[in-house]
Amino acid sequence: MTGALLRVTRAASPALLLRGGGGGALLIWALLTPGFLSRLSLLSMLSAISFVGCVTVGMGFITISGNIMSLALGATVSAASVVFMASLGAGLVPAVLIALLFGAAITAAQGVVVGYFRANAILVSIAALTLILGIAAHLTGGERIYPGGDGFAFFKGRIWMLPFETWLFAGCALAGQAILSFTRIGRDIIMTGSNREAARTVGVDVPIAVIAAYAIAGATSALAGILLAARYGSGDMDIGGGYEYRAIAAVLVGGIAIRGGAGSVLRGCAGVVVITVIEMVLRLRGYGEEWQYLITGLVLLGVVMAQSEGTRR
Amino acid sequence: MLLSARGIGKHYGPVEVLRDVSLSVRAGEIRALCGENGAGKSTLVKIITGNQPADSGEITIDGVVATIRSPADAQKLGIALVSQELSLAPNLSVLDNIWLGNETVPLWHRRRALAERARAALDEVGLEGLRLDRQVGTLGIGRQQLVEVARMLTRDARILILDEPTATLSDVEIAHVFEALRRLRARGHAIIYITHRLGEVFEVCDSVSVLRNGALVGDAATGAIDRAGLISAMLGRELGELYPPPRAAPADGRPALSVRALAVPDMVHGIDFSARAGSLTCLAGQIGSGVTEALRALCGLNEAATGEFTIGGRRVPLRSVGRARAAGVRFISENRAGEGIFLRLTIAENLLCGQLRRFSRGGLLRRRAMRTIAGELAAAVAVRPARLDVVAADLSGGNQQKLAFGRIIDGAMPGVLLMNEPTRGVDVGARAEIYRLVRRFCDEGWCVVMASSDLEEVMGLADEVITLYRGRVVRQVGRAAVTMHGLLADITQQQAA
Repeated sequence: MTGALLRVTRAASPALLLRGGGGGALLIWALLTPGFLSRLSLLSMLSAISFVGCVTVGMGFITISGNIMSLALGATVSAASVVFMASLGAGLVPAVLIALLFGAAITAAQGVVVGYFRANAILVSIAALTLILGIAAHLTGGERIYPGGDGFAFFKGRIWMLPFETWLFAGCALAGQAILSFTRIGRDIIMTGSNREAARTVGVDVPIAVIAAYAIAGATSALAGILLAARYGSGDMDIGGGYEYRAIAAVLVGGIAIRGGAGSVLRGCAGVVVITVIEMVLRLRGYGEEWQYLITGLVLLGVVMAQSEGTRR
Repeated sequence: MLLSARGIGKHYGPVEVLRDVSLSVRAGEIRALCGENGAGKSTLVKIITGNQPADSGEITIDGVVATIRSPADAQKLGIALVSQELSLAPNLSVLDNIWLGNETVPLWHRRRALAERARAALDEVGLEGLRLDRQVGTLGIGRQQLVEVARMLTRDARILILDEPTATLSDVEIAHVFEALRRLRARGHAIIYITHRLGEVFEVCDSVSVLRNGALVGDAATGAIDRAGLISAMLGRELGELYPPPRAAPADGRPALSVRALAVPDMVHGIDFSARAGSLTCLAGQIGSGVTEALRALCGLNEAATGEFTIGGRRVPLRSVGRARAAGVRFISENRAGEGIFLRLTIAENLLCGQLRRFSRGGLLRRRAMRTIAGELAAAVAVRPARLDVVAADLSGGNQQKLAFGRIIDGAMPGVLLMNEPTRGVDVGARAEIYRLVRRFCDEGWCVVMASSDLEEVMGLADEVITLYRGRVVRQVGRAAVTMHGLLADITQQQAA
C-alpha cells in the first residue's frame, strides 16, 4: 500500500506535483475571489498578460539557448516604445518595422558578445542594460516621447471581444513556438542550449544560434514596447521597467529548464498567466503591492527549489 | 579475511540490484571486481564505503561485524575509495591535498609532522621524487591518482577500493600505478580493483569476483580462469570474437585522406600521414603524444591548427567544423557527456542532430520524414527503435556511443570517420558491438581513423597503425607487421623489456 503510494509519488516529479497542485489551488482561489470574473478585471488581465507575454516569449528563447536570461529586455521594451513613437512620422508600418528591427539589433548585439566571445550572459545583459539606459537618457533628456504621427488608434480597440494586443501576443507566441519546433534554427537553438560543445561537434553554428535567439528576444520585446506605447499614447524609458523580472519569473513558473535545452515557448506563456492571475487576485482582495511582491517571490522560490530537486542525481 | 561481505542484498524501489552477493579480500591480496555496466559493482562499492545502506547481509572486518552507516564510519574502519573522479583540489599543494578534509588534524598542528607523514605515504606509493609544495594540478592524472592513494594511506586505510583507476591513463602511468599497487600488497593492504580492461585483471590481480545482473557469478584465483572464461562469466554467454576479422580483400589502395605538416602549438609538431578508404587506421600514442589533438584538429575543433589536409585530393580547410563536415568528415568523441551526446534530448533528436539540413526545406523541418529516418538509424546501430523518445541520459555508455555512430549515417557518400577513444568507459559486450559497427563503416567504404591509447584495442582492430611520440610520427606500419613490443617501444621511446 505504502509501496504503491511511494511509486506513484516517485513517478511524478516533485516539480510536476507542485505545478498540478499549485495550478488547481490557484484556480479555485481565483474563482472564489469576488470580481475576478468581471469584464473589467478579465480585460485588464488579458492586456497585462499580452505585454509581459511578448517579453516572455523572447526570454524563453534566451533561456532555452542556454543563456539563462537577459536583464536588458525591460529596457529594450522602453527604448522600443520611444523609437516607435519618435518614428511614427514616417508612417505606422515603417514605425513598427523600425522599432522591431531596433529591438532585434540591440539584443542581437548582446548575442554576438555571448555567442562569439563566450562572455557571461548575465553580465553582458547588465552592461547592455546600463548602455541602453545611458544612451536613452542622453537622447531623450528623460522626457516622455509623444507620437510624431497618428494612425495607431485601432491598437486600442478590440477584435472579437479581445484587446488588440492579445491577438498580437497570441500570434507572437504561436510564431515563437513554430520557430522552435518546426525550423532548423529552432532545433539548433535547442541543441546549443542542451550541450554547447556537442552542438559544435555536430556542426551547429553555435554563435549564430545564440545570436538568433537573442534577436528573436529583442524583436518580441520591441513588440511589447510598441503595444505599450500605443496603449498609453506615449513612449518613455520607464514603460517597460520590471518586465525582465516578470518574464523570467514566468519562464521559471512555466517550467522552462533554467539550464537550457528544454521547454517550450507555450510553457512560458502559461507561466505568465499564472503570475498575472496571482497578482490580480491579490489586488482584488485588497492586498497592497508589497504583498504582491512577497507572494510572487515565494512562488518563484518554490519553483526554483522544485527544479533543483528534479535535476539532482 | 581482512574484509568480508556476506549475503549482501539491495533493492532500489522494486528493482533488485544486488542479490546475495559475497565478496572477501585478505590482507596482501588484490581482488579484481568485474562486470558489465549495471551489474551492481558500484552499488556494492557504495555499500562497503557507507554511501548506501544494504537491505540484507553483513560486513565483517578482521572477523568482527562492522556497522557502516556513513562514509565517516567506513573511513574509521580503514576503508578508502579512490574513484574515477578524483577529489583533489588542483590549485593546492600536494601536502595540503593529502591533509585536506582529514578530521584528525587538530586546528593547532605541527606542519613538520604532517609533512613527514605525507612524505612517508608518498614514498609508499612510489612518488619518492615528488615535492610536497608542488601544485597538484600540474601533475599528470596518473600521479594525481597516486597522490589520492597516498592521502588514503595517511588516513590509515587498510582496505583500498580503486574504481577504474587506469581508464584515463597512458601505459607508462599505468605501469606506475601497478608498481604502487604491488608495493601496497606487499605491505599487507587489501585492495579491491574495479576495471573494464581485462588484461589488467591477469597482470596485477590475485583473484577476481564477477558480478552479473546483481549476482555473484564467479569467484576465482586469476591463475584458475582464462580470459575467455572471464568474459563469458561477465556476459553469461560466449562473446565470440571481440574483434571482428579484417576485410578479406585488401583495401583498394586509393589514399582517401592525406595530412601534411599538421601542427598544433605545443602539442603536435608537424605530422604527415595518409589513410585509405575502406580501412581502419589507428593513431596510437600515450596521453600527451598529440594523437587526440591531431584528430581534433582534423575535425576543425582546434582554432590554432595549421597544415595541409586533403580528402580525395581536395583540400579541406582546418579550423572550421562546418567546412570539415561539408568535406565529409565526421567525428566521434570519447567525452560523451561533455561533447558527444545531448544527454537531455531524446534518442531521435540525438540521431538526427547533425543532419537537419536533409529535412529542411526553406528552413522548415519535415517532421514525419525525420521520424522515419530516426527509426531506421536506430535500427542500423542496434538501438531499439521503440525507444526513440527515451532521453539519452537513461542509456548505458555503450548505447550512447551507438547513437554517435548512428548520427553519422546521413545519406551522404562514405567519407572520413574520425574517432577519439570511442570505447572509453564502454563495457566489453557493447565494445564488441561497436567494433563490429566500425568494421561495417569500413566495409561500406568509409576511411576510418581512430585515436587510441589502448594498445590491445589497436592490436586487435587496426589495419594500419601510426605511432606518435611527443607530437611527432614515429612509424606507420601495416597490420601484419604490428607487435605489442614494437608499439610499446614506439610510443614510449624506450626499449620495451
